[in-house]
Amino acid sequence: MPTRIAFATNKGGLEDNIADRFGRAPTFTIVDIDDEGRILSVRVVENPGAKAGSGAGIRAVQKLVDLGVEIVVGPSPGPNAYMALQQAGIKIFSLPGLTVKEAFERVLKELRK
Amino acid sequence: MPPRIQISITGGKGGTGKSFVAVNLATLLAKKHRVLLADLDLEAPNDHILLGLERLENEEPVKIFLPFINYNKCTRCGVCVKVCDTGALLMPPRSPPIVFPRLCSGCMACYYTCPYNAIIEGGHIIAYSYLTHVRKHGVEFKLLTGILRPGEEHVPPGLAIVKDKARRISDDILLVDTGAGTGNTISIALQYSDLVIAVTEPTPLGLHDLESILEVVEGLGYRSWVVINRYGIGDIEKHLEVFKKYRVERYFKIPYSMDAVESYVKGIPIVVYKPSSPVSRSFYEIHRALEDEVL
Repeated sequence: MPTRIAFATNKGGLEDNIADRFGRAPTFTIVDIDDEGRILSVRVVENPGAKAGSGAGIRAVQKLVDLGVEIVVGPSPGPNAYMALQQAGIKIFSLPGLTVKEAFERVLKELRK
Repeated sequence: MPPRIQISITGGKGGTGKSFVAVNLATLLAKKHRVLLADLDLEAPNDHILLGLERLENEEPVKIFLPFINYNKCTRCGVCVKVCDTGALLMPPRSPPIVFPRLCSGCMACYYTCPYNAIIEGGHIIAYSYLTHVRKHGVEFKLLTGILRPGEEHVPPGLAIVKDKARRISDDILLVDTGAGTGNTISIALQYSDLVIAVTEPTPLGLHDLESILEVVEGLGYRSWVVINRYGIGDIEKHLEVFKKYRVERYFKIPYSMDAVESYVKGIPIVVYKPSSPVSRSFYEIHRALEDEVL
């Protein structure tokens, strides 16, 4: 069973950095991995929260729910986004300041534990 | 009953003396007219402090709509989440939508669009209003104060409800005191004005924000007067150009004076505290102009 991970990113892609904000991150980089942790696919989607006047965190989480994301990696989410992620049962990794690649390695290590 | 006349005190910049002007004009107007002073600065109301009132009376909750989901009727179609303009609804996997009350503006779009009538009309208190009978300083008038619950996301829906109440319960003159700024909370407070009095000061900040508020007032199509408070601390040449540009009918000067500060600190309108002060005399002049040209 592949696992779907979303990274809160700026331009998006594995070379990018983790965005500074969660709800208003410009994009999410969606990475599917298999049970061995091998990358099956990488794609970039826009975050509807980025341009929202209000409720950015909720809109971002709704997008992740609609995409079937199980794990999200980003900076610390705001209070609304945090509540929404909890309600949606999406696992959170707060790894601010890292590149997507570095963050990905950290997540894999955690998942293997 | 809607008021016969609505006069609104605003100014754009914070701290120019909007409330100072409002309580002094209310005190003067109340000698001859039935006055309702509406403190519509919901985020920082303090007319009652300037009037030296010990407490506010007749508390009433200000409630806006909040959706409750009937889980027996909800099919998880997602329409409510799509129409929500403020991102207050989330549809988690395998569960009906959940509501984030703080984000909800009470617009009811979800309530009206749900094809399954699965949304129940609930309420959320975002503010309180207080109607205080002021019997002080030799006059009598009513003071309606709106106070937002700290941390609320949406001011306009609460302000609109308090404003409606002000219009409903006023009987002759409604004097509106707005908060600082030029956004839609201010437009709602200014709505239906027969005259807008913008309070400014002779500083670059006062000038800048005055121009912004006059643009709003002109856009809304209301008559405007300006009060230059703390007159004497700076130039007003550029102010005068702005008055012309926005067709300000009249302007008044309130001199910079320690008298004003003393009355402010004591919580007594200056027209009562020091009737002979030059500051009070400015208020008599504004009052006379109101009687002659507006009332």
